[in-house]
Amino acid sequence: MISNIQLIFDKENEGNQQNFVPKMEIDQTELDEILPASLLRKDLPIPNIPEINIVRHFIRLSNKNYGVDTGIYPLGSCTMKYNPKVNETIAKLPGFTRIHPLQEENQGCLELLYHISKQLGEITGMDGFTLQPAAGAHGELVGLLIMKKYFESKGIKKQKIIVPDSAHGTNPASAKMAGFSIIELISNEFGEIPLDQLEFAMQDGNVAGIMLTNPNTLGVFDRQIKEITRIVHENGGLCYYDGANLNPILGICRPRDMGFDIVHLNLHKTFSSPHGGGGPGSGPIGVVKELIPFLPIPCLISTEKGIVCRENDNKSIGRIKAFWGNFGVIVRAYAYILALGSEGLKKVGQIAVLNANYLRILLQQKYKLPYNRICQHEFVLSDQGIPNDITTEDIAKRILDYGIYAPTIYFPLVVPGALMIEPTETESKQSLDYFIEVMNKIYEETKQNPELLKNAPQNMPVKRLDAVLAARKPILHD
Amino acid sequence: MDYEFPDGLKYATTHEWIRIENSIATVGITDYAQHQFGDIVFVELPEVGMVFEKGSNAAEIESVKAVGDLIMPLSGEIIGVNQNLADTPELVNSSPFVDGWMIKLAFSHASEIDELLSVDKYKQIIQNEEH
Amino acid sequence: MDFIPHNDKTIAEMLDIIGVKSLQELFQDIPKDLIIEKLNLPSGLSEPDLLKQFEKITQKNKVYSSSFLGGGCYNHYIPSLVDFVTSRSEFYTSYTPYQAEASQGYLQAIYEYQTIISRLTQMDVANASMYDGSTALAEAAIMSTIITRKDTIILFKGIHPEYEEVVKTYCWGQNINIVYASEDNLIEKLNGDVAALLFQSPNFFGDIEDISKFAKNIREIVPNCLIIQAMTDPTCLGILNPPGLTDIDIFVAEGQSFGLGLSFGGPGLGIFTAKQKYLRKMPGRLIGKTTEINGEKTGFILTLQAREQHIRREKASSNICTNQALCALATLTYLLALGKTGLKEVATQNIQKAHYVKKELSKIPGYEILNKKPTYNEFLVKCPNIDSLINLCKQKDLQPPLKISSYYPEMKDIALVCVTEMNSKNSIDTFLEIARIVSNNKTEGE
Repeated sequence: MISNIQLIFDKENEGNQQNFVPKMEIDQTELDEILPASLLRKDLPIPNIPEINIVRHFIRLSNKNYGVDTGIYPLGSCTMKYNPKVNETIAKLPGFTRIHPLQEENQGCLELLYHISKQLGEITGMDGFTLQPAAGAHGELVGLLIMKKYFESKGIKKQKIIVPDSAHGTNPASAKMAGFSIIELISNEFGEIPLDQLEFAMQDGNVAGIMLTNPNTLGVFDRQIKEITRIVHENGGLCYYDGANLNPILGICRPRDMGFDIVHLNLHKTFSSPHGGGGPGSGPIGVVKELIPFLPIPCLISTEKGIVCRENDNKSIGRIKAFWGNFGVIVRAYAYILALGSEGLKKVGQIAVLNANYLRILLQQKYKLPYNRICQHEFVLSDQGIPNDITTEDIAKRILDYGIYAPTIYFPLVVPGALMIEPTETESKQSLDYFIEVMNKIYEETKQNPELLKNAPQNMPVKRLDAVLAARKPILHD
Repeated sequence: MDYEFPDGLKYATTHEWIRIENSIATVGITDYAQHQFGDIVFVELPEVGMVFEKGSNAAEIESVKAVGDLIMPLSGEIIGVNQNLADTPELVNSSPFVDGWMIKLAFSHASEIDELLSVDKYKQIIQNEEH
Repeated sequence: MDFIPHNDKTIAEMLDIIGVKSLQELFQDIPKDLIIEKLNLPSGLSEPDLLKQFEKITQKNKVYSSSFLGGGCYNHYIPSLVDFVTSRSEFYTSYTPYQAEASQGYLQAIYEYQTIISRLTQMDVANASMYDGSTALAEAAIMSTIITRKDTIILFKGIHPEYEEVVKTYCWGQNINIVYASEDNLIEKLNGDVAALLFQSPNFFGDIEDISKFAKNIREIVPNCLIIQAMTDPTCLGILNPPGLTDIDIFVAEGQSFGLGLSFGGPGLGIFTAKQKYLRKMPGRLIGKTTEINGEKTGFILTLQAREQHIRREKASSNICTNQALCALATLTYLLALGKTGLKEVATQNIQKAHYVKKELSKIPGYEILNKKPTYNEFLVKCPNIDSLINLCKQKDLQPPLKISSYYPEMKDIALVCVTEMNSKNSIDTFLEIARIVSNNKTEGE
């Protein structure tokens, strides 16, 4: 049977194109004089493939892939906004791509890193930043290690971190990597943290702090946020802000003013650096003045000589990544902030929330909306009440058949059959209206034609794939 | 939802079932538990000879969408594990009480058996959870 | 610049449908005293003004025409193909492929990446990548403590100092003890608490370590101790014996050399591979091949997700959520573009050119090659006057080698010289000429 897929390895031939290596030019020595035979490999099973075949292979693969540039990508908590093309031009300037991390003539790069920290400081209200973390989760780990070091420096041992049940999985996982254990709080019917539960948990005396995102993963702004941070502070804890949901409050309010001590940002979400299909990202951490000494090395400061590294006095948590962070990702974010400016950034927050509420109002006419209030950048529907045993997964797969991407499914865990929708500010009204039309059509199908959902997707290169088989008998390479 | 609740077994609040025969206990997860997991893809079993206290994690059960622990209902030494689960973890779904058994242990504290639940008590817990 | 596609009329329409009078009303849940008037940042810029701004910034960096600088980041040729493929916005504007059926293109590409890495390294499994070489090594260390249930790791001398620092930070987070060892004292440092030995080869100083000598001893003393290898320039695998054939348990590498460019050190690519038996304890994303539930077609899907944070949460062995997907795509393209012939040729040129420079340098009075073991494309050389060497290099538009004392202050006047396929004979001759001048000046000065 002819397979529907062709791996690149199937296109091997023994052709011998040598297009990418310059001339040797120097006199060679016999290899056995340089290296003993035992160190040499006998066989190199990498195929030789003509350039034209490589190009066609990847063009065809790209045709089987959906990006923001294809259509609406309403993944909740991911902020799939438009990635400006000028950022690509800038990031590819040789004055960036050809700079070695260890070279001395690097003031352009160091100034960029320093200036973006100042910009992010203005946006979030935080006093000091590190651009080292390579992703949001990496930033979370750094933030928690800063908490750990802070308490150690005071001779106090605190071993627990509070997270709400609506938290993203990276929050408890990061806490564990930093050596903490978790106390989970159950959100109330408004999706907010019950203050009495928080008070009780803080009385434990062993709580280093709380990890929160606000707006939370339900898209709801916790109105008592200042109370929450006050309670944690009064009980000797620190407050960590997961910046994955920063988009709606850009230019509207700031995590520092809410009472947070540590903030991580996702440059590849809020600040338009592309998601890359799952990376690379960048997760800078911002802290209040008191925590600046603990930032990871290298930490940049401004002097008369220019931007230099702060002396390492061992207060820092240490190094968390080689070199300077994901510089290429940071360049794009810096360009974005400069391009939008003060008014542009504020508009992002306003329109992100406008677009989300527009979808919310119209979709809740058919679908169940467990937290029925004004949302910020995202909101969560549920499959409860959908007839004929149709699940959220079925709905998501059917959305694909209409040529657009499905929202996030089964997260947050507090909503059964969750369908988490975040349109972002860069979707036009036509795009939003098409999404609503698709969702309404699918709703009718759940009643009239449920097999269309059960058998979805039908219009993709493959039908629904067997995840159980893939996990029971993993085949991870050819 | 109709789950199986075989007689002749003891149960734990953490959804294990226990068959006591003389001084050996055979342990697995209940029909309710396997249903919560969905299709089981992998079970990580302990080694024979390992000793665990009641309440500790003896085995890890993975499905596509979840992961959970088999909690030791009694303290003791592992004297047998179900090797078939390596190739066919789906036995836990199809036959949770018979072919999907997980561990056999020689329990050290017989008094701990009194702390286990009867089939009726366990049924009650499930009925409450479903509401 | 502005990427909002609504005009005021549309906004008014939408506000009306929502049932509020103004944009401000949408933020009614935010306490009034938290609302800010505006951000204290300059106004935005149009594209041409933005580009002008960046031209000014890049002018403060120096782009060298040739380089002798390595130290964990390497100057190799990047085929035009690589940028072509990674510029396809169907790839780079997509997200993690959770909806597999709409992401078969990218999933297949990453599966091919896993395959090609597995073949190159001869390790049983490769994941879809970690952030970079340094964090991959740190996560490997943690993984070893989970597998063995032990709490100590040994760092063998020669690991990149920045990698060591990262491992140290991660281990502190998890209360894992670190012991430092070198060839002389390795055996005595081994005991029953050791989860793994970590080493780098070729190491930071350029030496190719033949760990097989030690591996046998290590496994006799501590039978289930893991041996973890790190590598900063994996182009050497075009010619050197792969780790999978030397009984390495976990192999990690920095993939920057495979098509990613210098880019001031980031983003990189954390290549992460291991033996089959450790598969379920491996962090990071994994793409698997499967079939349709109700069909016969083959497809690709994220698999073994129960290891990962979004399911396991606080029980996860790692918090990693993203990989470096676009970088993995670049690496795949690079390896395919070069093929076995090209990769072997690149590795050969690196070895030959570096060997040539080593040989010629050692003929010049005042220079001493310090490596006792075979090297790949980097080596240590004691110089008569390293500052003078560096200054003359800069004057001739050659990026100078690394001054080792920037990491090891006690190692004065020692340079880490890196020579790759990108070093022309011209640049090499210029470098050697500079070396002679420095040597002569020193002699004259004496």
